[in-house]
Amino acid sequence: MSPEPFWLALLFICLLGGILTGIPVMLVIAGVPLLLALAASMAGAFDLAFLHAYPQRVIGVMNNTILIAVPMFVLMGVLLERSKVAERMLISVSRVLGGSSATMALSVIIVSALIAASTGVIAATVVMLGMISLPAMRRAGVPTRMASGLICASGTLGQIIPPSIVLILLGDQISNAYIEAQRKAGNFAPDPVTVGDLFAGALLPGLLLVGLYALYAAVNLSFKPVREGADAADFFGAEEAEAPSLWLLFRDIVPPALLIVAVLGSILIGVATPTEAAAVGVCGALLITAASAGQDSPVLRRLMALTAAAALAIVVLTALGLTRIDFSTGTLALTPLSVLTIVLAAVVLGGVFTAAFSLWRGGVLGASIAEAVTVSAMIFGIIIAASMLSLVFRGFGGEILVHELLTSVPGGQWGILAVTMLVIFGLGFVLEFVEIIFIVIPIIGPVLLATDFDPIWFAVLVAMNLQTSFLTPPFGFSLFYFRSVAPASITTGEIYRSIVPFVLMQLLAMGIVMALPALATWLPDALFG
Amino acid sequence: MRDGFLRLADLLHRVTAGVCTLLLLVLFAAQTVVVLLRYVFGIGFLELQGVVSYSFALLAVLAIPIALRLDRHVRVDVIRRMQSPGTARRFDGVGILGFLAPLFILTLVYVFPDILYSWSIREGAIETGGLPGYFLVKTGLPLACVLMLVQGAALFAGASKPEGPSGERREP
Repeated sequence: MSPEPFWLALLFICLLGGILTGIPVMLVIAGVPLLLALAASMAGAFDLAFLHAYPQRVIGVMNNTILIAVPMFVLMGVLLERSKVAERMLISVSRVLGGSSATMALSVIIVSALIAASTGVIAATVVMLGMISLPAMRRAGVPTRMASGLICASGTLGQIIPPSIVLILLGDQISNAYIEAQRKAGNFAPDPVTVGDLFAGALLPGLLLVGLYALYAAVNLSFKPVREGADAADFFGAEEAEAPSLWLLFRDIVPPALLIVAVLGSILIGVATPTEAAAVGVCGALLITAASAGQDSPVLRRLMALTAAAALAIVVLTALGLTRIDFSTGTLALTPLSVLTIVLAAVVLGGVFTAAFSLWRGGVLGASIAEAVTVSAMIFGIIIAASMLSLVFRGFGGEILVHELLTSVPGGQWGILAVTMLVIFGLGFVLEFVEIIFIVIPIIGPVLLATDFDPIWFAVLVAMNLQTSFLTPPFGFSLFYFRSVAPASITTGEIYRSIVPFVLMQLLAMGIVMALPALATWLPDALFG
Repeated sequence: MRDGFLRLADLLHRVTAGVCTLLLLVLFAAQTVVVLLRYVFGIGFLELQGVVSYSFALLAVLAIPIALRLDRHVRVDVIRRMQSPGTARRFDGVGILGFLAPLFILTLVYVFPDILYSWSIREGAIETGGLPGYFLVKTGLPLACVLMLVQGAALFAGASKPEGPSGERREP
């Protein structure tokens, strides 16, 4: 099949125009290529046999085991959002750090990083920060522009700090592209790239960003308290006059921190798959949400704490190999410890069930699941639509054209990388990460990953690039969400200006990771060899 | 006639939403049991793993018509916000007639022989020892196509947004 530059150009123009009309993107990126393919086949420029593969592509998505983690991570995020745990963490952390403008900004950054490490739903994070921390930061003397930029940028950390949906989807596409590229290059047994690799690879670059934000805030703001004896609780207008205590901090920070360790830790030490970890994450989120929904029911709260303790005890016992239960070899030594393990497992199951039941009765669980279903549907809709686009693109010989274009770029593999990053950055102004991942990676990945670039490093660079796209106007989603909660006194132009330093920091961080690939490759190597 | 169809579409939407809620609940519950059995008791059942993958497979396609009906599929609405409600409606009509209908009719036509064959051999799990009934799961795809066409037609006929979470937030 020789490339059809005319039809490919028409495809590109119609896609862009179609997306701008405001018709759901999913319908545009599947419908436009389909109609063009039908038209071109009449002109003899397209072989409709390409489209016969379409249902198989969709069935492939249905059978994809990597994507199973997506709806569960989304559910975990929705549940945690409803538990208001982030709000309480923010108040606790800022009270401990003290009442100056710099410590206030630092609290926002720290809490954002923690939310990001638990799931990181951009919309929820930005809306929460906009409502709770914007007034507090302004009262603490943080300039409005700085506060706005900080909120928009911190909200996007969830996309780069694992576990993140971006990294799961990228893991799926990068591993396919990498295997295809290595096969073409004659390597028939390449090391597979897993989602766990990407989680490990993105951790340090994510923390680098957190560090850059914190440095920026610390340099620009003062550590001097706004007034003598100022307590951060005043800035939040919190009516609860509970004295700041270690117990409060413990109560607000430890449960989410344990959840992060359980979910992220189990993936990073290579014990659990992301899907298994996501199920554990939902269990933890159920416990936390049930405990905070039942504020006036001490029994429920104690039961939730007991369940978490039992789960922790099981982990410890199993890790020490003390449970003496292994049904795979038929071993069940009836020791006190093995009985204890069975009791603990029963407590955990019972506790999670109680949490789910109480949330279901309160209407929280049903609403959260419905929300998680629609959010997942948006993602799957795009994935399924993008397979139509990529089939038609292939049918028009687009891959050959892209391959020719990329190999003619001066500067060898670095030139190709630069072009790829520019294209993704540019698309980020118009498209969302799901579209970009499922359209760009299958096209460019097989060319770029045939070089000696590390696939994990490349994936992390793409993820950072995509994260930046949330901040770039006019289609930066983070900015939309902030606009929706920011007071009218903050103009949209001001919001756009406020994120400039943060976009520059993103680019700086990308440059650092590009120059020091070890930032992305060292941890996966150390963890998974 | 039109009212009857809209009522049917509403009913189908509610049923689909209920089924998907159940699927996600089952997916999570089965995966949790898998984790407990595997890490605490050292055993695993392929059937249970099958429940997880089957629930996901059905959820992945059946959820799409729900989001369509709730107007939750991502739109780039910078220009849309400047359009009059009439213009926006006309564009939506183009999206449904021009894009949605051909896409899902074509998918139905192309997937049909495969589904027929799958039913004729009562296709089971891909791995041996797995859960039987994969042909039913596969049938979720044509079912989702029909639901997309029904909800698309309902929106085209001017169906109002059903009660439930609004379309405020559009990004995962």
